[in-house]
Amino acid sequence: MSDTNSQLVGVVGFASLTVRVADTAVALGSGDVPVLGTPRVVGLAEAACVAALLDCLAPEQTSVGTRIEIDHLGSSEVGAVLRASAGVLSVAGSKLIFEIEVHDGSRLIAQGLITRVVVDRLSFLAKAAGQSRTE
Amino acid sequence: MSSRSSGAYDIRAEMVANVLSIQVAVGEQVSFGQQVLLLESMKMEIPVLSDAVGAVLEIAVSPGDVVQEGDLLIRVS
Repeated sequence: MSDTNSQLVGVVGFASLTVRVADTAVALGSGDVPVLGTPRVVGLAEAACVAALLDCLAPEQTSVGTRIEIDHLGSSEVGAVLRASAGVLSVAGSKLIFEIEVHDGSRLIAQGLITRVVVDRLSFLAKAAGQSRTE
Repeated sequence: MSSRSSGAYDIRAEMVANVLSIQVAVGEQVSFGQQVLLLESMKMEIPVLSDAVGAVLEIAVSPGDVVQEGDLLIRVS
């Protein structure tokens, strides 16, 4: 894919979520209020990044998250319907930087940048397994 | 965040935020410390206070807008 990486700039993906009790900060352990937890916002944004690459990577490739820079601007209650979008902003070798936004209805509740790296799936899993065994 | 430019005083966004409401109108006199805007950021409502005394020359945003750090909000004479 490295020869065509630059063609990924502008590729966009989407993900949506209806907030459930399991998505709240209380349930996730990231706070003690029953509103959407920030880790779930990050997960939703990453899902949009993955969706953006669905038809772009070779079968033996995948992408893994390496850096998250997100402002979580507004809170969302259980039942809220969220929509995340992620667009490839820039490419440097195997590193992709996505610009993400998450909306609760028309209200922007999160925006930022997510970096993901394209890897060979089997090599990555083998390396991860080896590292886990040695720790 | 604020800055002076050619006799005007610019009130700018200190962080990325949603504009919830605007408490002043063009031509209105504002006083030091008066709330001119209400923003939402980091899950909080954040009042924006004027750090100038004068008349509102320009309102650069509308409710529902998203502003980035440094964006002009309101210009005061």
